Amino acid sequence: MTIPRLSFFILVAILAGAVRGAEPAWGLSELMIDLGRVKQANGTFVEKKYLKLLSAPLESSGQLIYTAPHRLEKLTLAPKPESMVVDQDTLTIEMRGRKRSLQIQDYPVLWAFVESIRGTLKGDLSALQQFYKVKLEGTRQTWQLQMQPTEKKMAALIQTIFVRGSKDRVNAIEIVESDGDRSVMTVIGDVITGAANETINHGLRATPGPLDTAS
Amino acid sequence: MKSDALRAFAIWLLVVLASVWVIRHTTITGDITAFLPSQPSEAQQILVDQLQDGMVSRILLLAIEGGDEAQRVAASKAFVDQLTTLPSLAYVQNGDETRMGPERDFLLKNRYLLSDAVTPQHFSEEELRDSLNKNIDLLGSPLGMLVKRILPQDPTGEFIHLIEQFEGESRPAQRDGVWFSRDGKRALFVAQTKAPGFDMDAQEVIQRDIHARFAEIAGDKQLKLLAIGPGIFAINTRAAIAYDATKYSTIATVLIAALLLWFYRSPRILVLGLLPVGTGALVGISAASLVYGSVHGVTLGFGVTLIGEAVDYAIYLFTQQSAERPARESLARIWPTLRLGVLTSVTGFSAMLFSGFPGLGQLGIFSIAGIVTALLVTRWVLPHFMPTGFNAKIGVDLQRRLLGAARYAPKMRMLVWALVAVALGVLFWHRAALWNDDLGSLSPMPIADKKLDEALRNDIGAPEVGVLLAVKDADEESALRRSENLVQALRPLVEQGAITGFDAPSLYLPSKAIQEARRASLPEASMLQTNLDAALQGMPFQNGLFQPFLDDIASSRSVPLLTRDGLAGTAFQLKVDGLLMTRRGATVALLPIRGLKDEARLRQAVVDLHDAKVSLINFKGESDQLFSRFRHQAIVNALLGASAISILLLVSLRGLGRAYRVVAPLAAAVIVTIALTLMFGHALSIFHVVALLLVIGVGSNYSLFFDNENFARAAPERTLASLVLCNISTIIGFGLLGLCQTPVLAVIGATVACGAFLSLIFAAVLTPNRSVSAPVISS
Repeated sequence: MTIPRLSFFILVAILAGAVRGAEPAWGLSELMIDLGRVKQANGTFVEKKYLKLLSAPLESSGQLIYTAPHRLEKLTLAPKPESMVVDQDTLTIEMRGRKRSLQIQDYPVLWAFVESIRGTLKGDLSALQQFYKVKLEGTRQTWQLQMQPTEKKMAALIQTIFVRGSKDRVNAIEIVESDGDRSVMTVIGDVITGAANETINHGLRATPGPLDTAS
Repeated sequence: MKSDALRAFAIWLLVVLASVWVIRHTTITGDITAFLPSQPSEAQQILVDQLQDGMVSRILLLAIEGGDEAQRVAASKAFVDQLTTLPSLAYVQNGDETRMGPERDFLLKNRYLLSDAVTPQHFSEEELRDSLNKNIDLLGSPLGMLVKRILPQDPTGEFIHLIEQFEGESRPAQRDGVWFSRDGKRALFVAQTKAPGFDMDAQEVIQRDIHARFAEIAGDKQLKLLAIGPGIFAINTRAAIAYDATKYSTIATVLIAALLLWFYRSPRILVLGLLPVGTGALVGISAASLVYGSVHGVTLGFGVTLIGEAVDYAIYLFTQQSAERPARESLARIWPTLRLGVLTSVTGFSAMLFSGFPGLGQLGIFSIAGIVTALLVTRWVLPHFMPTGFNAKIGVDLQRRLLGAARYAPKMRMLVWALVAVALGVLFWHRAALWNDDLGSLSPMPIADKKLDEALRNDIGAPEVGVLLAVKDADEESALRRSENLVQALRPLVEQGAITGFDAPSLYLPSKAIQEARRASLPEASMLQTNLDAALQGMPFQNGLFQPFLDDIASSRSVPLLTRDGLAGTAFQLKVDGLLMTRRGATVALLPIRGLKDEARLRQAVVDLHDAKVSLINFKGESDQLFSRFRHQAIVNALLGASAISILLLVSLRGLGRAYRVVAPLAAAVIVTIALTLMFGHALSIFHVVALLLVIGVGSNYSLFFDNENFARAAPERTLASLVLCNISTIIGFGLLGLCQTPVLAVIGATVACGAFLSLIFAAVLTPNRSVSAPVISS
C-alpha cells in the first residue's frame, strides 16, 4: 500500500516540476492553439494586387469577419461593394449585384485558397496540411506561416501563401502566384466590438465572444 | 387408318420443321419498351424514343471498386485511356479536367458563334469599356487567378459566359481530379455507346471489350469493375430470362414426366404426353416471331408456362382411355369439353391482342398459337400412336378417395363463399393500392441490376430526367430556331430563381440564321481597334495586351458556320444527339430543366410563348400517365376477356344455370388469388392480369369436366383422376416458375399455381356433379 502511494506522490512531483520548470516552447502547434481560441475576429483590410496584365496595382478595401469555426466574410467596400462569404462548405460570391453560391469541394483550387485563410484563423493545422506544406518562422510576437500547395492543379496557380501575424492575430496575407503576380492584404484593427479605449489594435483583433453590443 | 396416321405425322413434322426454321432466324430482344404502348401520345412518344434509342438508352455507368484509393485513382486514369481507344464508345469521361481539352477548345474557338451576348453593340466603345471594367473587378477577386490567363484573348468574356450555362449541372465528388462516389469507395465513369441500348448483340460485344480492357489494367490488383446501363439491363435480362426459362422448364419437364411415367407406367405414353406441349411451344414462338419480327425474352420465358396448360389435354385423353374403349372413342367423348376449354382460353388471350402494347400482343399470339397447336396435336396426332389396348389403371384405393372427396366437397359451399367474402373485403381494403405503377413492376430486369443502377446514379449525381420542354418542327434548322426562342424565355426564369438552369441543343449548335447574325456582328479590324483604344482610355491595362483578342475577332469574321459534324469528338456532340432528334420526318428539340422550383412560373412562361409546338413534359407525370393507361388497358382487357368467356360459356352451355356453375368457381378462384397476392404485399401488375387469364384458361377445363354429366356418369373416377393429375402438373410447372429470379416470370408462376389449385377445389365444391354423388363405383 505504501509503496504505490509513495510512487504516486513522486510521479505527481515530477510532473509538476516538469510543467513548472520547462520553458514553454513555441511552435506550430502552440500557434494553432492560440489561434484556435479565438471565437470571433474582425478587421478592416486593404488589399493590393500586383498583376502583370496591369500597369498599376489594384487596390481594394473592406472588412474581414471571422466567426469560429466555419464562417469567414470578406466584405469589400471600395472601389466597388462586393462580398465573399464562406460558411461551412458553401462559398457565396456577390459581384456586380449578382449572387452565386457554390460548394467549395467542387472547386479544389478555390477550396485550397479558402482553407489557407480560414484554416489559419481556425488554428486547424490538418486542414492546412491537407493542401499545403506548412512552415513557421519567427516568434510568438511576430510570426510568419509559409504555405506551399502540394496539389498539382493548385501549384500551377499559386506558388506560396504567406500569413503573417502576432500572437493570436493575423496581420497580413500575401499570395504569390506561379506567374509572378502577387497580392498583399494588410489587416488593420477595428473598434466595432467595443473597448474603444483600446488603442493598440493591429491585426485581426480577437474578441472573447460573439459580436456584442458596443457600450 | 395407317395412311391417316402417316398423313398426320407428316403434317406434324412439317409444322415442327417450319417452326424450327423460323425460330432459328428470330432475334430475341429484352428491352422494356416492348411493354410500352405502340400508339402513344406525342409526349409519351418522346419518352419511348428516349428509352428505345435516345441518349438515355446509350448511357453506360461504370465504376471501379476495391483496392486502395491510390489504386482506384490510378486505375481510373489508365482505364479511361483504354476506353477512349474503343471504337464502339462514342464518349467516355472520368471527370479528369485535363481530358476536357476538346470541349474547352471547342468553346474557345467557336465562342463568337455560340455566345448569345454577341451583337453589333457588343463591340462598341461603350460596351467594351463596360466589359473591361468587369474584368478589373474580376481580377480583384480570387476568381481573378482563374480567368486572367484567358483575358487577353477574351476581354468581352464570351468563354466564361458559355461556361456559366452549365451552372446548376450536378457534378460528382472528386478524388485527385477524377470522379468518385462521395464515400471515396468507387471511381466513376460515364460512357456512351454508339449502338442503341436495344441492339443487344452490339451491346454484348461492347461489354466484352470493356471487361477485357479492364482486366488488362487491373492486373492482379483487387479491383472490380461495375457496369450498368440500359444496354446492360437488356443483356442481363435476356440472359436471366434465358437461364430461368431453361432451368425451370427443364426441372418442370422432368418432374411432370416422372409424374406421367409413374401414373401411366408407359414410356410411349410419356413421349406422347409431351408432344402437344413441345409442338405448341415451337409453333407459339414462331407465330410471335412472324407477327412481330422478333421475340421478347419474356415471351420466351412464357414457354414454360405453356407446359402447365397444354399437358392437360393429353392427360384428359389418356386417363379416359381403358382397355374396352379405343382412343378414338374416348377422344370423341371428351372432345366437346376439351374444345370448349381451349376456346375459353383463346377467348381470354385474344383480349391481349388488341391491347396496343406489343409485348402483351406477343404473349397473346404465343399463347393462342401454342394452345391451339397443342389441342390439334392431341386431337389429330396422338390417337394414331396410342398403344392399342392402353388402359390407364387407377387403383381402387385412389378411386375411393377421389370419389369420397368429391362427394364431401359440396358441403364446404358456405366455407368457400365465406372465403370469397373475406377476399372481397381484402380487395376493398387495398382498393387504393391495388395497382403497382412502378416502372420496375413491368421491368423484367434482375433486382441486383436495379440496385446497382440506383447506387451509381446516386454517386454520379445523374438524376432521372424530370421536366423538359419539347418543341417540334419540320427540320433541324427550324427546330433549333425554336429552341433559341425557348432559351430566350428561360433565361429570365434562371435569373428569378424559378429554375436552376436548363440545357438546349441550340446552346451547342445555334441555328444557321443566328450564327450568321453573330458572325456579321463582328466588327472589322480597324473599327474594333478604334473602339478598343477609346475604351482603354484611363484603364490600367498594359499596352498591347489585347492583341490576341483583335486577332481572334479578325479570324472569326471568316470562320465557317458550325455544323453538327463540327461537334464531333466533344461531349457536346452527345448532348446534341440526345437533345435534337429527327423521327418520322420531324425534328424535336428537347430542353431539360434543371432544379425546377416553381413549376407554375415555368408553365406560364410556356403559355406566354403562344407556340402550339412547344410542350412541357413532366417525365414522372408522363410515365405515371403511361402506366395508368397501361393499367387501364389491362383492366379493360381483363374485363373484355372475362365477358367474352362468359358469353362463350353461356352460348355453348345453353343455359344460365350451367354457365353459372362453370363460371362461379373460376370467379371465386380469381378473387381469392388476387386477395392472396395483395396480402403477400404485392400490388397487381399487368402480368398478374395475364396470369389470371391463364388461371381462367386452366380452371375452366376443371369446371367444364365437373359440369359434364355424361362423361362423369360413364367413368367419374377417371374424370376425377385426370383432373387431379392435370392440377398437380400445373402446380409443378407454375409453382417452379414462381421460384425464379425474373420478377415477371415469378409473378406469373406463383399466381397461376395458386389460382389453378383453388380453381380445382372450388370447382369440386361449387360445381357438384350429381353422377359423382351417386354411390356408383365402377370396377
